[in-house]
Amino acid sequence: MRIGDFRASYAHDEALLATPVQRSWMIGFVLLVLVFPWIGGSYLTYLACLTGIHLIAAMGLNIVTGYAGQISLGHAAFMGVGCYTVAALARMEIPFYLALPVGGLISALVGIVVGIPSLRIKGLYLAVATLAAQFILIFVFREWDSVTGGVRGVNVPPAQLGTWIFNTEGEIYYVIMACAFILLLGARNLFRTYIGRSFIAIRDKDISAEVLGIDLFRGKLLAFALGSFYAGVAGGLMGYFYRAITPEHFTLTLSVFYLAAIIVGGLGTVLGAILGAAFMVLVPEALRGVVSLVTVWAPNAMALLSPVREMVFGALIIGFLIFEPHGLVEMWRRVRRFFHLWPFKT
Amino acid sequence: MSTRRHALKSVAAATGLSALSLPLTTWSQAGDLVVAAAPPITGVFAFAGVGLNLGLNDYCEWRNEARGGVMGRRLRYISEDSAYKMDQAMSVFKKLMAAHRPPVFYGDSTAWAKAAAVEVSQIGTTMTSSPSFASDIADPEKVPYYFMAGPTYASMCYILLEYINGQAKGGVKPTVALVYSDTEFGRDPIEAAKGRAKQLGINVVQEIVTKPGSVDVSAEVARLRRARPDFVIFHGYVLAPIPEFIRQMREAGMTGTQFMGTIWSMDKSTAEAMGPAGEGWMGVMPYRYSHDVKDAPAVVTMNQFAQKRRPEIKYVSTFYTHGWLVGSIFAEIMERVLRANRPLTGPNMKAALESMTDWDSGGISGLPVNLRGHQIATGRIYRFDAGTKLFEPASGWIRTT
Repeated sequence: MRIGDFRASYAHDEALLATPVQRSWMIGFVLLVLVFPWIGGSYLTYLACLTGIHLIAAMGLNIVTGYAGQISLGHAAFMGVGCYTVAALARMEIPFYLALPVGGLISALVGIVVGIPSLRIKGLYLAVATLAAQFILIFVFREWDSVTGGVRGVNVPPAQLGTWIFNTEGEIYYVIMACAFILLLGARNLFRTYIGRSFIAIRDKDISAEVLGIDLFRGKLLAFALGSFYAGVAGGLMGYFYRAITPEHFTLTLSVFYLAAIIVGGLGTVLGAILGAAFMVLVPEALRGVVSLVTVWAPNAMALLSPVREMVFGALIIGFLIFEPHGLVEMWRRVRRFFHLWPFKT
Repeated sequence: MSTRRHALKSVAAATGLSALSLPLTTWSQAGDLVVAAAPPITGVFAFAGVGLNLGLNDYCEWRNEARGGVMGRRLRYISEDSAYKMDQAMSVFKKLMAAHRPPVFYGDSTAWAKAAAVEVSQIGTTMTSSPSFASDIADPEKVPYYFMAGPTYASMCYILLEYINGQAKGGVKPTVALVYSDTEFGRDPIEAAKGRAKQLGINVVQEIVTKPGSVDVSAEVARLRRARPDFVIFHGYVLAPIPEFIRQMREAGMTGTQFMGTIWSMDKSTAEAMGPAGEGWMGVMPYRYSHDVKDAPAVVTMNQFAQKRRPEIKYVSTFYTHGWLVGSIFAEIMERVLRANRPLTGPNMKAALESMTDWDSGGISGLPVNLRGHQIATGRIYRFDAGTKLFEPASGWIRTT
């Protein structure tokens, strides 16, 4: 049971990690993240990198959709904008710590343009408008040969800090984790500010928000800008991670992937984006691991079980939506509540 | 005393060094030779991926049974489904590389080949291949540890154009239309094909880009009717919209036009799925079809093994043949390196690959195989006979540059 959690000052009340237990967990987690490439090996580090990139992008979509209530089906294309910007800057030998924010900013500008229709339309209509943006941007990626390399794509030089070249997943891992940490911390704090709360107000009832004095024009476009900024940075990291990028990385399927991630994880929460991204990356891997285990005893089972794996993954998503519509984050909250109240009524 | 200390230090150093080198030696030199793969058993490329996987797996099993593996070391095939998704293919690649450090790896796509090429070049331990025939990855300089078991898509178009060039009557060259999907796959050979057509004096009278799997192609067919090409080359499709194009053009009275495709639309199952439109369907195929066993002992062996191992398979597909051929090239590369008593490193395997300039594939390819350019730039034109439901040769074997 949680005890001794007295909040005697405003500073204490506002702290992100208010109790010694929370601080201890966080320190342990940060240490684990720091040593993970040494203990996890190449494969798990690869998965951690992938999860890191996806959770940044999922957090971006969560800002737009989960917090501000604006549906976006163009998120993958915003990632593409960031990725190609970073690729172009990297070829000009601009260091990654400048290229990534610039990639995010260019993506944010595109996001603002795409977000303009949100002032007049919402719901399904906005979804269709952002879908159009997705297709337009993919068309640009395919056709703008001199910048994007057209359908053949471009190679991205590795990120570099002085003489340290981030060639392997064990090295780029730290760049990805640092970006994820900064951006998630930023998102966590954003929703303790006027801007973040205005997003929530817009989502809950935009007319009421306007009556309260919130500038809808500014709020909606800012949400799109911030969400696209996150997507742009994630796209840039994807470029540094894979080092070879084609327009087929940023398809509508990826946009739907992020939408599924934030719904499964939990809309409108930072933790939801993290859990959703981890679920969408790691569960298919775990299922494939199960299939490969079975094929040790039944070598010909792979052809049969591989399609089953896809169905199981789909069924898991549907199952979550039916039995826990608030997402994985609500399950996590229940587990925490249990331990906070234990041994009393949970 | 100092001599004894020196001797102890030497022993300790030698022990330490041998302990350090042991894992690397174990990975690359001793025991089984791991053939790892991330084939697309599910996803949009599963129609081919299942056969590719079986062909590669069966070649390894056959090689172990018939020839005791490679230089006395058994081939161990390990694969996991990539679902034709680049991130999953990379994750299988990372997983299998970390667990087994295989000397050879078979991926699933162009995107995978490009992404993995960076790492494969850095680690320099592994030779790779995949079902991708993208022109820009058959590059011994930029992608040194990758080869393709067939011609690039550009080379396939060159072979088609060579055949078309040979169909000139009375000094008049046939005309050609290019129809391709708006994908990396579809666009890959088009500029090269137009360049070669110009060199050969063949007039490209129409160029049409469609979405892959388009349904309504009536506007495109109208353009083709106006252009009246003698040959239409489709590339970047597996099936749709090819049958719809052919049906509408035949209904419009263009019965003299020949319709041609490239490797992935040239399997027997694909031609059968076209229905009546499949009659006379032609295209380039780098391998002998499995019913074409004359002068092809390797095809006979492959058929017999497939029948013994997988009696449920009624006809060995070209996808299976591709997997079998990739397995035999992998084995040949490793055999050449081990026979020269060299370690299985990337540079040694690359040298072995490039030394295969006159290799006998046992008739899977009709000409001696030359892999110096990391592709097999040969193929043959086949035509589908709707009566026998088989592809029959329409030309001799054509080698291109």
